[in-house]
Amino acid sequence: MLSTLIWFPVLGAIAIALLPPRHLKLAALIISGLVLLWTLWIANQFDFTNPLLQFREYLPWLEPLGLNYQLGVDGLSLPLLLLNSLLTWIVLYSSQEDIKRPRLFYSLILLVSGAVAGAFLAQNLLLFFLFYEVELVPFYLLISIWGGEKRNYAAIKFLLYTAVSGALILVAFLGVVWLQGANSFAYEALMGQSLPLWLQIVFLSLVLVGFGIKIPLVPLHTWLPDTYVAASAPVAILLGGVLAKLGAYGIFRFGLGLFPEAWATLAPGLATWATVSVLYGATIAIAQKDIKRMVAYSSIGHMGYILLGGAALTALSLVGAVAQMVAHGLILAILFHLVGVVETKVGTRDLDVLNGLMNPVRGLPLVSALLVLGGMASAGIPGLVGFVSEFLVFQGSYSVFPVQTLLCVVGTGLTAVYFVILLNRTCFGKLDNAIAYFPKVEWRERVPALILAITIVFLGIQPTWLVRWSESTTLSMVAAVPILAQPTIAQASEAPEASSNPVSQGVTTR
Amino acid sequence: MTQSLLHTVWLIPCYAIAGAIASALWSPAVIRRTGPRPAGYINLGMTLLAFVHSLAVFPMVWQHPAQHLSISWLQVAGLDLTLPLEISAVTVGASLVVTGLNLLAQVYAIGYMEMDWGWSRFFALLALFEAGMCGLVFCNSLFFSYIILEILTLGTYLMVGTWFNQSLVVSGARDAFLTKRVGDLFLLMGVLAIYPLAGTWDFNELAQWAETVTANPALRAAIAPGTTTLVGLALLAGPMGKCAQFPLHLWLDEAMEGPVPSTILRNSVVVATGAWVLIKLQPVLALSPVVLTAMITIGALTAVGGTLIAIAQIDIKRSLSYSVSAYMGLVFIAVGTGQTDAALLLILSHALAQGLLVMSTGSIVLNSITQDLTQLGGLWSRRPISALCCLGGVAGLIGLPPLGGFWALLKLADGLWSTHPWLVAVLLLVNGLTAFSMVREFGLIFAGSPRPMTERSPENFWLITLPMMVLLGVTLHLPLLLQSLSLLPSWAMLNKDMALLLVWSSLTGGGIGAVVYVGQSIPKPIQLPWKRLQTLFAYDLYTPQLYRSSIVFFVDWASRITDWFDRQVIDGAVNLVGFVSLFSGEALKYGNSGQGQFYILTITIGLAAIALSLGWSFVLH
Repeated sequence: MLSTLIWFPVLGAIAIALLPPRHLKLAALIISGLVLLWTLWIANQFDFTNPLLQFREYLPWLEPLGLNYQLGVDGLSLPLLLLNSLLTWIVLYSSQEDIKRPRLFYSLILLVSGAVAGAFLAQNLLLFFLFYEVELVPFYLLISIWGGEKRNYAAIKFLLYTAVSGALILVAFLGVVWLQGANSFAYEALMGQSLPLWLQIVFLSLVLVGFGIKIPLVPLHTWLPDTYVAASAPVAILLGGVLAKLGAYGIFRFGLGLFPEAWATLAPGLATWATVSVLYGATIAIAQKDIKRMVAYSSIGHMGYILLGGAALTALSLVGAVAQMVAHGLILAILFHLVGVVETKVGTRDLDVLNGLMNPVRGLPLVSALLVLGGMASAGIPGLVGFVSEFLVFQGSYSVFPVQTLLCVVGTGLTAVYFVILLNRTCFGKLDNAIAYFPKVEWRERVPALILAITIVFLGIQPTWLVRWSESTTLSMVAAVPILAQPTIAQASEAPEASSNPVSQGVTTR
Repeated sequence: MTQSLLHTVWLIPCYAIAGAIASALWSPAVIRRTGPRPAGYINLGMTLLAFVHSLAVFPMVWQHPAQHLSISWLQVAGLDLTLPLEISAVTVGASLVVTGLNLLAQVYAIGYMEMDWGWSRFFALLALFEAGMCGLVFCNSLFFSYIILEILTLGTYLMVGTWFNQSLVVSGARDAFLTKRVGDLFLLMGVLAIYPLAGTWDFNELAQWAETVTANPALRAAIAPGTTTLVGLALLAGPMGKCAQFPLHLWLDEAMEGPVPSTILRNSVVVATGAWVLIKLQPVLALSPVVLTAMITIGALTAVGGTLIAIAQIDIKRSLSYSVSAYMGLVFIAVGTGQTDAALLLILSHALAQGLLVMSTGSIVLNSITQDLTQLGGLWSRRPISALCCLGGVAGLIGLPPLGGFWALLKLADGLWSTHPWLVAVLLLVNGLTAFSMVREFGLIFAGSPRPMTERSPENFWLITLPMMVLLGVTLHLPLLLQSLSLLPSWAMLNKDMALLLVWSSLTGGGIGAVVYVGQSIPKPIQLPWKRLQTLFAYDLYTPQLYRSSIVFFVDWASRITDWFDRQVIDGAVNLVGFVSLFSGEALKYGNSGQGQFYILTITIGLAAIALSLGWSFVLH
């Protein structure tokens, strides 16, 4: 059942490579639409009271190596699978009709989609690693063939960074298995492992840096602005909406899941790291003159909230962190899409040139309105999906790391600052009639943004649909860290601003 | 029927939301045939519905205990976010005021925005505000109040930005959004911090919790010292932003760039949203004396400072806006001293009077082209209705019996007299100065002889004049209304000395104002002997410059420096690594000479080195 999610797009990619060039986009849309429907059906069948893996599949493959084909889905991966399927369809739908080398483009997108789904589903460390590496090459090609200026530089940078990330992760995986003397890379077998704490910390650090590159966390982020800016809008949506989530997912699944004890030890540091990421990303975004770059830096800031939620390790903050992955994926997708539309219509991304796009006659009123919505969702205005997840993260983390949480709240304030700059310069202001002869916005550009906007509003008003998938899984992840409570409480009460009492109250009531 | 009306009270905000969504259909390029006007009519109808609903419910809740409803929103990981609604005389009364003023403002807007193309956007935003405010009055939870306040912050941004192609509008919208957002984020911090302490966001339960904490010293000792103060200050910051208190008052002034119909609502009820939350939070804030002192101090400073600034303004709308800040300062004083009833009464009387003032001055602005007070004058004979409405607004605002403002201020002063006598002095001062400021504005607009800008200024058509006159009627009848609800003190209970003081302060302020600005013997413009003092107030105590040179400057430079650091240092280090590896590869390639001897030599040296290092320990022994 789950295999379909991986192999259907992959086979579809091959099929597309063989099809005549007439209806390539339609074929790709049908394939990814079917995958989306299949994902929805799996979500419908998913029992969200069950914290364990569901719909497992097992095929022995290279048993002596410990590499088997093991799949499963739980509350951590299901929302991300849905996000992946949705965004893949959106990306295909929004791609240009006359894109150059369409066969390769659609095949690669489908290939990426399948590989990412595989990474989310794999329950074997080596299998995960294979999928994790497989998506790398298609992405490299997607950036370097269909990218904008400086695409080769960006693609190489992306490739090198991600290769390093993969190497570190592989080292950590191999180390865990060999030092433990396990005979298999099966994820569940490795969960209750008994390595000494210092070794756990070493491996956790490797995993953190490895996935931290992918997320990315400061200071491992410098590939991101270059890559996101150089990539075309559809590829940027996939990079920011899906691939970054793979990093966050990896940190939770293989960092927190495999080394809970070490995670608890490092948690205060992680929370601080998250805060630095949030403030750093937001501050730099304010200084940007290129709207795409601004959105790219906003992504760095927002991924920090996920790490904060993970570091706090309360049931609430983890649910919030998973919700934030989905929320961020949706918001980033709509922002990149709209920025892409603005760029193709107006011909520039420069804040000093853009002006008055809200103009109803000559401007791009719908695009501007949706841009306001996306920016405000990113800034955490309630009623939109970004608020719910950020609030859950904040409320869950406050009792454990009050100072870091409050600083992250300041980060949302800075987010508001740069989005107001963006909106004021792009949408507001007086449109110069002399240059305002923009091409018409087509339906293929409107529909994806509308779908994303409706999803963002719907999940903001009915957040139950966002959080119910992951609640029991994250609860069991927190419960899997029995020794955790003491160090974090001690840590928190040492913090000067934290009043010790509310903290312990807050933790014990959960 | 009646009970079902009561239990569907949550529909009141929904009407407006439905109207807002429906008006999206008339945004540009959706429905073209009809033009954008139906959006306005639909919203007007929805508001009428909401008003009628509130009106029908009011008798059912009057002198009945409050009823509570709850709507489940989100339960996750032990956190129960259920929306509690309180249906009481106060909340239904407040929704009556909100929907009523909205109704008038929307009729006014249909007239005022006659020539505008952005109807669907504008009316949708008016409806958003209506829905938000109705939701706020019914919702009984700090968390949901925060949500609504934050959405209204976004609403303010869009509303002020209605005429977005003017640069002042754009910067005004930006400043309004960011200033309010700062307050909101502090409020969010307070919301986050109070939950671990109290375990609830429900206002009633919070009040109970505050009560038990006060009554129980052991519980009080369990909370770290300073926590209640910090939480209280954070919670205070949200209302400070909304009510445009010093130092977060800048936005209200700049928001005056928005259209007048939205200003009616903003000056009368939108600013009061902050005060409403403040009143609800009063028991929690009272836990810390520091917070109360801060609240009173901020309120007093804003009240006095705001009025002084208002006197120095030459823009009709801006002068009014500073009076709003000042009156909200009085509300802060009232809440800070625990007089929530007086605060509510003051909000009510202020809302009506201020709405009337904005409507009447707006009707002058509309067909005199200018809103510069120095260019107006002599309109008394040409605009008698507007003039009467303006006078009614002035009388209703200040402490002039028998109108609403008098009773509210009297109630406040009465309560302050025994505990904080110096605040009575502040109150009297503010009242006198406001009277002066309002009469000044009235005189500058209506008295004297016509000026070039006011030569041709007829009364507006009925869509603008009618709502104005209706509101004048309501303002004038407010005392009767209060009397019938027995909210006014009886003659025997009246603190006659205080009443006399209040009347004297109004008459003094108003009298001086009349002599200077209505009488024509003193030449205008009036210059204070201390030029610097006058510019200080005229330029809003240099607050914009202060912000620009402090926080804006700081954030700007911090972002530039971080950006530089990111490009040069971090990315530079990465590029250095890349460069070094490239360079070493380039350097090493010169080793490939192609001569066999050289390779053999290299291999031999390598092998020798390995053998040596392996055999080293052996050699040592």
